[in-house]
Amino acid sequence: MSDTQWPRYEVFVQERPGRPHQHAGSVHAPDPEMALLNARDVFVRRPECASLWVAPSATVRGGTAEELSQLVAAPVSEEGSPDIEYLVFAKLEERGTLAHVGEVHATGPDDALAAAKAAASRPPLALWVVPAARVERTLPEEAASMFDPSRHKPFRDQAFYHIQTALRRLRRDPLPIASLQNRGKKR
Amino acid sequence: MNLELRLPLADALLRLADDEMILAHRDSEWTGHAPILEEDIAFANIALDEMGHAGVWYRLVAELRGEDPDTHPDQLVFHRALDEFRCLRLVELPKGDWAFTIVRQFLFDSAEVVRLQALRRSEYPPLAKAAAKIAIEERYHDRHLRAWVRRLGLGTEESHRRMQAALDQLWPYATQLFEPQVSESELVAAGLFPASEPMAAEWAEAAAAILADADLKIPTVGPGMNGGRENHTDHLEPLLAEMQSVARLEPQASW
Repeated sequence: MSDTQWPRYEVFVQERPGRPHQHAGSVHAPDPEMALLNARDVFVRRPECASLWVAPSATVRGGTAEELSQLVAAPVSEEGSPDIEYLVFAKLEERGTLAHVGEVHATGPDDALAAAKAAASRPPLALWVVPAARVERTLPEEAASMFDPSRHKPFRDQAFYHIQTALRRLRRDPLPIASLQNRGKKR
Repeated sequence: MNLELRLPLADALLRLADDEMILAHRDSEWTGHAPILEEDIAFANIALDEMGHAGVWYRLVAELRGEDPDTHPDQLVFHRALDEFRCLRLVELPKGDWAFTIVRQFLFDSAEVVRLQALRRSEYPPLAKAAAKIAIEERYHDRHLRAWVRRLGLGTEESHRRMQAALDQLWPYATQLFEPQVSESELVAAGLFPASEPMAAEWAEAAAAILADADLKIPTVGPGMNGGRENHTDHLEPLLAEMQSVARLEPQASW
């Protein structure tokens, strides 16, 4: 069966300047620019955002703590020199998410994962490596039109509309059937 | 501001508000039906943004008319008769296929970018301030729409054919985007509202460049569509009937 879906991109959101980019979820898109726009519309409607990164899911190599424990140090390939830059994302807390912690240079994804594991300050619960060249990023000059509008929109919890209160009142004190039937006909 | 210009300025802003409101309604018809989930969310966002812009303009209309800015907008949207609406015929047309929607939204939003830049220089401070805020959002709409125009224009044989068909059908309506208005010259002279002709030229040049990049050809049309904004297509009546139906069931209801 042929897959008619657009490829998937992983989305990383930076809430404020200086904070790490954190994994937020994924979107489908035909190309990196559309992935960035879709990421904005799906993930940056209400929360604060200063910068967005997206990367094709297929370029992400990762593993959980258990998988990482079985990782054997990748054999250094003969021809390769460690000159591919990978971004490293680590999940360090049970309740946390994958957050950008730095970069490693490696010959390939497995090598990068091993290097990232070796460089970790404490054993991560999960690690991802993403080739830096495949990451599409918002530009600082785009930030205003991409992210400012969401800051000015009121966030309304469902409680704002008092629906629950109105329903409770209706249950306690039902409208007479006749008044319901006549609704809309009077004026 | 010269008091005699308050009502003409309110009329000018009512035109902008009606354009945004009716287009927002048309856009909202895609909610739950857009080609993919991500675009469904994106396009619902755009519809909400346009409705928000309409709300900003309707409030300014209320203030200029000395009406209550909290209640007058609802009156204008939900309790006004068809022949009092002043929207473009472009925004009344049924939503069509996805190419039609994208071309219409591109034509409208690229015009908005030009108009809002000019409105930021209005001598009426509340208008200049509102335009500056809305312009930020429209810049994003414009980017989103340009991205779609390019991809569908240069996509497959079918996507290109549908885009060209949509442009052929919509372009004559687009001539109304910057049609000069009767009361315009006084507002322009007072620096309250920008003149239509320079904006029309600036927009036509910008839109032509984007369309050419997408391998889409602007059709040659004769003289623009006759008749001003008091003339509507047959599509506005059923749209208003639906949009106003709930509010009219219970005109005194508080929301």
